Amino acid sequence: MTHESDFEDERLRELAARLGTRAAERLDVEHTAQAVVARLREARPAPAGTWAFPRTVWFRAAALLLAVLGAGLLARSLFGPTPRAVVLLTAGEDVGDLTADQLRQALQGLEQPLTDDIGASDAGFETLSADELRALLRSLEG
Amino acid sequence: MPSAEPVAARQTDAALIAAWQRGDEQAAAELVRRHARALARFLAGAGAPEADVDDLVQETLVRAFRAVGKFRGQCQFRTWLLTIGGNVLKDAARRGKRAQVVPLGEDVRATGGDPHEHTVAGETEGRLVEGLMRLPRMQRDVFLLRAQQGLEYEEIAAALGTTPGAARVHYHHAVKRLKEYLL
Repeated sequence: MTHESDFEDERLRELAARLGTRAAERLDVEHTAQAVVARLREARPAPAGTWAFPRTVWFRAAALLLAVLGAGLLARSLFGPTPRAVVLLTAGEDVGDLTADQLRQALQGLEQPLTDDIGASDAGFETLSADELRALLRSLEG
Repeated sequence: MPSAEPVAARQTDAALIAAWQRGDEQAAAELVRRHARALARFLAGAGAPEADVDDLVQETLVRAFRAVGKFRGQCQFRTWLLTIGGNVLKDAARRGKRAQVVPLGEDVRATGGDPHEHTVAGETEGRLVEGLMRLPRMQRDVFLLRAQQGLEYEEIAAALGTTPGAARVHYHHAVKRLKEYLL
């Protein structure tokens, strides 16, 4: 019985050792090697430092950059600092109502170049020289 | 310019794996040349139809190379490859790409020798594959790794994440059930 069982085990091992032999012989190993390498090459990520992102990523990045720039320009136009020349325009309507500090500020503004978008005719005391404005300031200080 | 193949052929699996990880495609090709046939035998023995063996071998190798960073050398590269082959075969079966009926005729048509002997041998091998497909996967894998690939229990256990003693028990259960099925 034991011998018979051993014989069966041995026979089973022999059968198992032959399993798949034909499939292995049919396999074109070189073709398989090339096909595997080609598939790996396709799937392999690009080396670091190369510009190989998908095109959609570049499009999205460009759109995001444009949106940020647009928002920045809009915010600047809405909430940006008021040019000093605008103070002059306001002040020019009634210089007599200004305090000494406001006039001093206006005087300093005159020493800076005016922006182009302010017309000379709109600036009430643009024609005054710096000395004339200083004299005006002194008169207001009493 | 000398070919890289002879150099690659002299290197160990571990050296080739390291070379592949550095981007050497020839190293990957050499590993395929070394192990593809054993993998094909394992897959066919586990029930893969012959028509699908080529695709399954490729899929297994690609999957293995992509995951090669997880290979810690706990067993031979080939043994690790065979266990991945088992997973690929299972996935293929789950997707319905694997025929449930094992072809029996291929070995019957083998040339040479006594046609009657070949017929009997082919039928028996076909029944063995059928019997293997009825086994729990662990028993089937252990049996194939031991009886078909000739591996030691320690190696099988390391590859399948079990102990050598448990692998031995799985093997004996598999043999018992296969003998009951075949004889």
